[in-house]
Amino acid sequence: MSKRVRWRVLLIVLIVAGMVTGYIAMGYANARRERVGAAGPVTFSEALRRGVKLGLDLRGGIHLVLQVNTADALKAERDEAVDLLQLQAREQGLTLGPVELPNVRSFAVGVTPQTDIAKLEDTIRRFLPDWDVSAAGGKWTFTVKDLARRLIEDNAVAQAVETIRNRVDAFGVAEPLIAQQGTNRILVQLPGIDDPKRVKDLIKNTAFLELKLVESGPSTDRTALLAPHGGQVPANLDLVEAAPAPGERQQVWYLVQKGAVITGRDLKNARPTQRQLGGSAVSFFLTPAGSEKFGNATGANVGKQLAIILDSRVKSAPTINERITDQGEISGSFTPEEANDLALVLRAGALPAGLTYLEERTVGPSLGLDSIRKGVTASIVGAVFVFAAVLLYYRLAGMNAILALILNAVMLLGAMALFGATLTLPGIAGFILTIGMAVDSNVLIFERIREELRAGRAPKTAIENGFSKAFATIIDTHLTVIISAIFLFQFGTGPVKGFAVTLILGLLISVFTAVFVSHTIFELMYGRRQHIDALSI
Amino acid sequence: MELFRQTNIDFLRYKWIAIGLSWLLIAIGLFAIFVQKGLKFGIDFAGGTQIAVQFAERPDLDRIRQILQTANLGETGIQRYEEESKNRVLIRVQLQQGEGRDVSQEVQNALRVGLGGAADPARLDVNREGRDNLGARLAAADPDRVAGRPEVDAASYYGQIAERVVERRSELGIFRSMADLDSVPGITPAVRAWLKANTYTGPFVLLSAENVGPQVGADLRKKAVLAIIWSIVGMLAYIAIRFRSLPFGVGAVVALLHDTLITIGILAVLGREFNLVVVAALLTLVGYSVNDTVVVYDRVRENQRTPKKESLEAVINRSINQTLSRTVLTAGATLLVCLALFFLGGEVLNTFALTLIIGIFIGTYSSIYVAAAIVVIWKNLRAGRRLQAVPAPRPAAPAPPAAKKKSGRR
Repeated sequence: MSKRVRWRVLLIVLIVAGMVTGYIAMGYANARRERVGAAGPVTFSEALRRGVKLGLDLRGGIHLVLQVNTADALKAERDEAVDLLQLQAREQGLTLGPVELPNVRSFAVGVTPQTDIAKLEDTIRRFLPDWDVSAAGGKWTFTVKDLARRLIEDNAVAQAVETIRNRVDAFGVAEPLIAQQGTNRILVQLPGIDDPKRVKDLIKNTAFLELKLVESGPSTDRTALLAPHGGQVPANLDLVEAAPAPGERQQVWYLVQKGAVITGRDLKNARPTQRQLGGSAVSFFLTPAGSEKFGNATGANVGKQLAIILDSRVKSAPTINERITDQGEISGSFTPEEANDLALVLRAGALPAGLTYLEERTVGPSLGLDSIRKGVTASIVGAVFVFAAVLLYYRLAGMNAILALILNAVMLLGAMALFGATLTLPGIAGFILTIGMAVDSNVLIFERIREELRAGRAPKTAIENGFSKAFATIIDTHLTVIISAIFLFQFGTGPVKGFAVTLILGLLISVFTAVFVSHTIFELMYGRRQHIDALSI
Repeated sequence: MELFRQTNIDFLRYKWIAIGLSWLLIAIGLFAIFVQKGLKFGIDFAGGTQIAVQFAERPDLDRIRQILQTANLGETGIQRYEEESKNRVLIRVQLQQGEGRDVSQEVQNALRVGLGGAADPARLDVNREGRDNLGARLAAADPDRVAGRPEVDAASYYGQIAERVVERRSELGIFRSMADLDSVPGITPAVRAWLKANTYTGPFVLLSAENVGPQVGADLRKKAVLAIIWSIVGMLAYIAIRFRSLPFGVGAVVALLHDTLITIGILAVLGREFNLVVVAALLTLVGYSVNDTVVVYDRVRENQRTPKKESLEAVINRSINQTLSRTVLTAGATLLVCLALFFLGGEVLNTFALTLIIGIFIGTYSSIYVAAAIVVIWKNLRAGRRLQAVPAPRPAAPAPPAAKKKSGRR
């Protein structure tokens, strides 16, 4: 064995050993991470099965894409700005006309001849720097600045991500993925969850809590409720439906003020409580800032009703008996479980805005198992076919190709484990497809060698020429597929992305095995002999 | 063994026939897409809800259809899939989620009620419950009396039992009877008795449920089209850089468009569903098709370098012949793999494999009759224009009639 060949063999052995070790090490790490609560050491066979992370389609679980309704957050911000302006106006003795709320991004305030314009301008400068003001027709219209709007929207999405993470953590899911996608979407992947409904309910529960003063109601007659206002919902009020009591089909309506006294954002803590009269309720506690707002509003409105609105439904509307500062109670028809879940989501943080489900994919555990079984069977059968064909066609050189292909597969598994790539069902297909395509390199080389032999070259020269002439073509064929796989990666989600990753890694490795490993094997086979009569190819 | 030993087939002689055939295939595909039934979009692209369930007994599709009709879910599609014995059914509901409706839950509830649920509503459906709920219920009942033992954490103790139940269910596919439930390994008689008294085996197991909203569907459609277009542009750029030749680049890209179009057309004719995985297969095909073309082109360039008085058509013919056994062998190996996936890979991989199978045939054919033919036609046209006055010379003497397995060295 020449020195050069010895180095090549050593390099190949080292790389393969590194990949195998890496795979097993990742297997132990993955198996340990997935075991939440369960005891006992990780066995070797378990580690062998866990080296490559499995995608949701193989492991079972839930994939959700949610959209954050950022308009909710803008609305809350606008309501706060209106409150602030009115509060300042009261304190400074500013006379203001009626407030109008044309859309979530703006509000308008009437300016009367009595209004002290200089004072108003000063107030705006000091307290509402994020708002553009334009005057027209006796009213000033406030529109949130673009930069501020973007900040509010970004914050709402970031906060929603955080909130969902808190809730999922409280539920106890191993290895959840919760990430922002684009401007206002959130991707949630929960592997291993086989109780989709419960988790969905937990996440879906926006727990968007608002406390608003009741103008009139409750009433089962919408028209009667709106009659004093000319049959329409006035600009500063909202018509909100009450959450139906069990067994109750009758709809009940409230007219409430548009601006919220406090929202879920002002909450510090929440817990389920047992009521003396039976039934469950949820107590909540407010942050200092929330307490101040709540205290002011309740103090000024003793005797009025306060609607407790959860996800745009009035849960209850108790009468304010006295000034309340730091805590309150949400009652309404709760079962103990519901009270428990509500307290959990209120505690984990209410979502700053509502969520809409855009995409939802659930894979049950049995389907995942079935898919693995089928994918692996198909792969093994495919590989056996390919091996048989190669062996039949190239005889001894075919063994060389098969060895290279097997090393290719081992290294691909190792690389996927080390890169933390996820194996999906299409990924399994990509895996075996890589094997099919990797044969191509060997075929290109072997055909070249045969041509060289036919042209009358000596076996050794034929091998060298074969490899060097096929090299450029091999690079070409690999690059073309890799280029399209990169676009696939860019486009794909979940399973398809897994396919692209597997394909790219597999092709990169196949360049190495076909060119370097196969060549080395030829040298091992024929290098020692001074003279070769014929090649088995 | 050798399949082709120094063949000398005059492939390009039939180029006009081949071009006619290509146009015919394209026309059939376009007809199927635009006139006949159109592309059958999967829910990835069309939006909607798709639920796969496995029944304990042979499902009565008419009955299921009836149940879903009364559930007010709009138009539904119901079909069996995979092996008959597995009793699997795919339910597709076009109705969009939203307005607080959870369509997949509604379908399941309707089926559960319609197919006769539990006599006693307090009982749990072991074919439905996940580990968390089952574990929690077991922990609450505590049949093994572990609550008093400080060294045992009841939640994780029963969590493991629930895990075993779910695992066994996955192995069996579905619990058909209480006897099946008895086969769960490693649980105590007390737990067994509790399961018997408090659970029942529901009529089906949920395999998967997917819901794609209209926005996401439209997004994915757009992204899929962009991905295909960009990868074709990428290929064009690669060929342009690699071969620095317009006719070669145009030939490769036309071949690529040809392959993609015909493959999509054939999928439409076969009424196959067009979904994300098919797009993945199409993009793989884009790579494969160019791969095949590049091998021929590489050979053409190499052969052009040798100073031989030979027409381009002859050079290309010789190159195709030289790479023929590689072409057939590689296509064959990839085809073997795809056939294994097609027959054994299950529902998801079936259409994926089919797309590749079609693509391999079309891609191999197009490397010769589209990519190479275009280069020849292009050069002939240019040559013809240059020699307007003189009649265009006939391309060098046509190769002798196809001589397969001709022995003897050159």
